[in-house]
Amino acid sequence: MELTRRVQEMIVQQLRLTLDAAEIGEDVPLFGAGGLGFDSVDALELVLGMEQHFGVDIPDEEVGRRVLQTVRTMADFVRERQAGAA
Amino acid sequence: MIPPPWRVLPHGPRFLFVDRLLELEPGTRAVGRKLVTANEALLTGHFPGNPIFPGVLLLEALAQVGGIAWLGSAPAGTGAVLAGVSGARFRRPVLPGDAVDLEARVIRVLGTTARVQGTARVEGEEAASAELTLARGRA
Repeated sequence: MELTRRVQEMIVQQLRLTLDAAEIGEDVPLFGAGGLGFDSVDALELVLGMEQHFGVDIPDEEVGRRVLQTVRTMADFVRERQAGAA
Repeated sequence: MIPPPWRVLPHGPRFLFVDRLLELEPGTRAVGRKLVTANEALLTGHFPGNPIFPGVLLLEALAQVGGIAWLGSAPAGTGAVLAGVSGARFRRPVLPGDAVDLEARVIRVLGTTARVQGTARVEGEEAASAELTLARGRA
C-alpha cells in the first residue's frame, strides 16, 4: 500500500475515527480550527502510532509540531527517516 | 525518602485511592498500595451485602499513581488529569481485606500529555490493567 494511504489508515485506527481514511486530505491541517481539530491527546496517540506502525520516533514536542501538521508532512518524515536508516 | 501520596497528589479526602507509595522513580515508574476495608462507605452501595471495590476506581487509583510516576511531586494546579483509558481489563474482584499494589510505568511523554501502563495486583495476581492517558494542568 502507498505510504500516504498507510499514514491515513494509521490516523483513523489510532484515533478511532469514524471517517474513511481516504477522506483525510493530504494537506488538511490535523490540528486547530479550520482543520480536523485534533488536540494534544490526539498528538500523543499519533506519536505512538508513528512508532508502532512505521518505527519512527518523534522525540519531543518541537519535532511533533513540525511532523504532525498534515498527512503529507507525516509521510515525508517517515520517508526521510526510513531513507536515513537504509 | 518517598513522600506520602497525600503530599504529592492534589486529591482530597474520600478521593485519594493510594494509601502509601512503595517505589518512586519520577518520570519513569511508581508503585503504590491501596488497602481496601469493609468500612469504606462506597462499598455499602457496591453492592449491598456483596462488597466489591469498583473496577472504575481501580482505574482512578492507577491514574493517581500514574500521575506520581510521571510528575513526581507537582505544584498545585499543575497535576495530571485523566484524558483517556484504553485496553482496560478487570480479571478478579477486589474485596475487603485486599491490599492492592498499583504499578504505573510511563510509556511515552509528549509535552503536556503522557501515556502510562497501569497494573493493579493483589498478592501478585493481576486484578486490573489499562493504558491511561494523562494530561497536565488544572488538578
